[in-house]
Amino acid sequence: MSRTAETIDTAELMYPGHVGCPGCGATIAMKLALRALGEKTMLVIPACCWAIIAGPHPQTSLKVPVLHTAFATAGAAASGLRAALDRQGDTETTVVAWAGDGGTFDIGFQALSGAVERNEDFLYVCYDNEAYMNTGNQRSSATPFGMRTTTTPGTNWKRSRKKNIVEALAAHRIPYAATASIAYPEDLMRKFEKAKAMKGGSRFLHVFATCPTGWRVPSEMCVSIARLAVQTNIFPLYEVEDGNRYTLNFKGEKPVSEYLKPQGRFKHLTQADMKEIQEMVDEDWELLMRKIGLDPCG
Amino acid sequence: MTESEKNLKSERIPPVISQSKISTEANQTGTWRFLRPGYDEKTAPCSAACPAGEDIGRIEMLAAKGDLDGAWETILGENPFPAVCGRVCFHPCEGVCNRGEFDSAIAIHGLERFIGDAGIRKKLSAPVPRHTKVSKRIAVAGAGPAGLSAAYFLARIGYGCDIFEAAPEPGGLLRWGIPQYRLPAAVLAAEIDRIESIGVKIHCNSPIHEGRLEGLQRDYDGLFVGCGEGRPIPLKIPGEELALDGLDFLRQMRQGKETCNGVRTAAVIGGGNTAIDVSRSLLRMGAKKVLLIYRRRREDMPAFAQEVELAIQEGVELVELRAPVRIERKDRDCRLILGPMRAEGTAQDGRARILPADGEEESLDVQSLYRAIGAEPAADWLRPSQKGDVERFSRSRIYYDQFPIIFGGDLTNPTKSVADAIGSGKEAAMLFDTLFAEGREAIHDRLQQCRVGQGKSLSMEMYLSGRRKTRNKEEVPFERINTEHFTKAPRQNTPLPGPAHVIGSFAETEKSFSEGAAQKEAERCFNCGICNDCDNCRLFCPEVSVNLSDPRTCEAAGLNRQIDYQYCKGCGICVVECPRDAMSLTEETTPL
Amino acid sequence: MKEVIEGSHAVSEAVRMARVQVMSAYPITPQTHIVEALSEYCADGRMEASFICVESEHSAMAACIGASSGGVRTFTASSSHGLALMHELLHWASAARLPIVMAEVNRALGPGWNIWMDQTDSLSQRDTGWIQLYCEDGQEVFDTTLQAFRLAETVNLPVMVVLDAFFLSHTYEPVDLPDQETADRFLPPFVPNIRLEHENPCAMSQMAPPGHYMEMRHAIQGAMETVFETFSEIEADFDAVFGRKYGMLEAVECEDAEVILVVTGTAASTCRQVVADLRKKGERIGMVKLKMFRPFPLEAIRETLGGARKIAVLDRNFSFGASGIFAQEIRAALCNHPGHPQVFGYIGGLGGRDITTDTLETIYRMTKESPEPARESVWVGLKEEE
Repeated sequence: MSRTAETIDTAELMYPGHVGCPGCGATIAMKLALRALGEKTMLVIPACCWAIIAGPHPQTSLKVPVLHTAFATAGAAASGLRAALDRQGDTETTVVAWAGDGGTFDIGFQALSGAVERNEDFLYVCYDNEAYMNTGNQRSSATPFGMRTTTTPGTNWKRSRKKNIVEALAAHRIPYAATASIAYPEDLMRKFEKAKAMKGGSRFLHVFATCPTGWRVPSEMCVSIARLAVQTNIFPLYEVEDGNRYTLNFKGEKPVSEYLKPQGRFKHLTQADMKEIQEMVDEDWELLMRKIGLDPCG
Repeated sequence: MTESEKNLKSERIPPVISQSKISTEANQTGTWRFLRPGYDEKTAPCSAACPAGEDIGRIEMLAAKGDLDGAWETILGENPFPAVCGRVCFHPCEGVCNRGEFDSAIAIHGLERFIGDAGIRKKLSAPVPRHTKVSKRIAVAGAGPAGLSAAYFLARIGYGCDIFEAAPEPGGLLRWGIPQYRLPAAVLAAEIDRIESIGVKIHCNSPIHEGRLEGLQRDYDGLFVGCGEGRPIPLKIPGEELALDGLDFLRQMRQGKETCNGVRTAAVIGGGNTAIDVSRSLLRMGAKKVLLIYRRRREDMPAFAQEVELAIQEGVELVELRAPVRIERKDRDCRLILGPMRAEGTAQDGRARILPADGEEESLDVQSLYRAIGAEPAADWLRPSQKGDVERFSRSRIYYDQFPIIFGGDLTNPTKSVADAIGSGKEAAMLFDTLFAEGREAIHDRLQQCRVGQGKSLSMEMYLSGRRKTRNKEEVPFERINTEHFTKAPRQNTPLPGPAHVIGSFAETEKSFSEGAAQKEAERCFNCGICNDCDNCRLFCPEVSVNLSDPRTCEAAGLNRQIDYQYCKGCGICVVECPRDAMSLTEETTPL
Repeated sequence: MKEVIEGSHAVSEAVRMARVQVMSAYPITPQTHIVEALSEYCADGRMEASFICVESEHSAMAACIGASSGGVRTFTASSSHGLALMHELLHWASAARLPIVMAEVNRALGPGWNIWMDQTDSLSQRDTGWIQLYCEDGQEVFDTTLQAFRLAETVNLPVMVVLDAFFLSHTYEPVDLPDQETADRFLPPFVPNIRLEHENPCAMSQMAPPGHYMEMRHAIQGAMETVFETFSEIEADFDAVFGRKYGMLEAVECEDAEVILVVTGTAASTCRQVVADLRKKGERIGMVKLKMFRPFPLEAIRETLGGARKIAVLDRNFSFGASGIFAQEIRAALCNHPGHPQVFGYIGGLGGRDITTDTLETIYRMTKESPEPARESVWVGLKEEE
């Protein structure tokens, strides 16, 4: 623990008084991200929880300029803003698209894919709370296997796997795609700093952000749950450069049940279900290890 | 901008759009809160276990930050003998260290020595918290750890103190009872000098006896008696006179009067620290073989376990469950007859009952034989009786009178250790001060306020309402440490020489830490219950409601952070992510 | 200097001379020639601009919104399905009060697939808060496009310049193109009213709660109401520089007309011929060419058509379950006008079917001969067997 008050920049670029739910992981993600990005940042926020947290007219909860935009458009609107800044000779500002999982995995995926295929010079951040939480917990393609949402209720809990968005982005061969978690602030901030510095192309960060409200976990457990996701390898921390150079940041050792059990959204799962999920996690992990070039068991 | 552009612009009225003009600071989101997080510093188990009540978590925190002076001053607030205790204390702190459940306990003992030595090396002066002089004067009988401590704490808070010591030099047991290989004389001298430097006067060769009490009453307002137990307990077996007194042996040795030339086998009877010290000294002085005879088992020994372990490592042979029956002269040797014993059930003190066992007596021929089965007060008046207006406290006993007398140190301590003696001296200082300042009725509550955790130990810092006075008495259990914020790291151990280096050498056995190792070790400390500025609370707060603060105006005195309750929604993440349980979450009762 | 160019290139030339800084578009027939030309200008340096080749029209408009919010002059072009896909963001652009200019090539919507002229695409965007200007020929396309930037940037509303598929977009005509200096005299560099900037870091286009929303909507209408005056001022300036003007609507031979045909786009050219021919034959026919559809020039309509006897509105569009959209709007405009004329609605030329002089003459005669409209819309030119 070498982190002390003196070594941390004390100027937060976020205001208190925002209307995020108590314990909202997405707000932690924003706070940490802005610490790393600094004030020369412009945010493009489509419909998502953050469209609310950033404040209704005439308020803002952020100290950097924010362009709110329609749900499907983060990738495209950020492209336009980037072009406008470039045209005016401002290459210093980092344009950051800040979208939820719905705006990234689902409705905004086309615009995102288009933008990163053009290798637009921006950072796209998906803070992932694994369902449409702003509208009250409907499933998205980021919703994991086994989760109950209001559109996958009762025994119809989600039977399909979560879309692997980082692999999808890496497949576009963009300069940088990585995962990050609010439970690992130093790693997260390092990745934002790295992404900021990699100007000239598309950078993508997939940030795991607990939603205590939607996941039905106590608000104080927000960070612990995010940590367990990494420790159980259900959300591995890794980086992909140019779509082919993989780096693993953390190796989890815990069984996935330790992550699933404390969460209300997985309460219905049986031992057998959890075993099935463990197998999926193991399979994904093996696949990732192969890409990294590591022995999955070593 | 051209003229036409300017005109164009000036003609325009800014369109009414959805656009921010103010910040969300207008929203008092604190009204959402039904749980209230707050800084709530608690007691580290090590501190509660420390008989001197040292604020160990804070000491290690300062040491980890490289602030050795601060660490040293923090020790000095509770204990005038860091360099001594860093060598001779039985360190019960390490046994309860929460880190022990994670990987291995912090080397608190070794760090204390490192910090204490740094204080001596840098010639740091003892902090004096209360500068106003008190008109009262206290006499202290005995310049051992208890008497020196009592005088130290009294002097720090403004009392005039004179110590009367029977021996030609101060230190008591520290000087005469502990061999140099454990406590070099220079270290002891430096720490005693420092006590004198704050105004304590030590009169050597000046024993206090009953006859002097009347005279003391004239010149002083109270007396602290901490003379220790100087008279050995006899074996009460035939041939007793053939066994030498162990304490006396140690004393002679410190004066350079003992040798063990020609001793093939020596035996020491006893199981306490003195027996161990004598055994280890005999080895150093050239005895080929040293047997430690104990009527109980190793686990029943009152000697500190790590001392026993060191003795065995050095070559002392332990003979358990053998009681001396008689001692005979055999030529130039002594023949010791031993009877077998057995352990059965549990006695009142929690140890097994020891009874004679069936079997043959054994005999043992040795060239020298020492008894070290304990000591008792040297004079009858030093045995504090229950008669009169007497009140017992954890580590002392007070006789209320026009001339109050407090007995402390080994005379009253259930555990006879240096640290307990220091704790006893501190207790006495608080008793005198409270008695004089607030009257005897205030004593009980006052002491309770100053308890470190739930145990007996007292904190002078708390007594003097220092920065850490607000710390909660609740002791932090391991379960409340958020171990996710720590990585396993091997304990830094002080280097130990092998037994080969022991013979003929009274050089200090244990070496101190290097600076790097000390800092590394201090960094391992969880700092249980103490805010060490790790900043997790501020880092993880989703509400931007944990702010750096001016320690002078902060709600909790001396803390560098404060919670802005105008906005805090009470999510509780700060409390859970506090690695060391220095925060608490309570039900919100105050309306915003 | 006059050059023979197609309508599409009249657009791209105007965009070039407007010194647009960021463009974004997705290709769709019959808009492609516009964006191809613009891409070339960016590539060969004739324009100092960024062209963002997005993956959909939805993204094209989103990119324009992003760029315009960033404070640069912004343009896009689309048509038909592409415009329909943009729909959400058309609302967004206008409510964000961004002065984006779009060339909209009127084309039919499928199924069946149809790439030809039809107005239903642009008229479906009637309520999105965009200014809509319909053009008759290549010169008007060029002129209107250049004017559109000034109009948009003055009132802070986006402008759609509408031109007929193929009849205009792919038809070569002589167009008088000014030099850049002259164009600059009319259109100064863009000075944004709304812009994301670090100096004043605010949030834009965020949630507007019930306590604020209505005022914002009212302000859009307020801006729309200033368009008539602003448009006239801009046209006067344009006239002063270029010696041309069009008006929100144009009346031809209306003073004594028994029947006035209301037309839009290239049909106006055909109609001019019909009016001239029939006038020679002594018919009291007049014509109104409607250029501005949004905001709807209510006063001008009432002034020009309020005193007429019979009006025949040609709609190359249809609102299913109701009638032609222009006819509807004109009826609504006149219904409270004392002694208002009868409004006859005709549907023709959908999906690229030609509107010939015969079609228009038929419409004139049917109107003249009917004592009153038999129904809301009469479909002309329908084949019997289908």
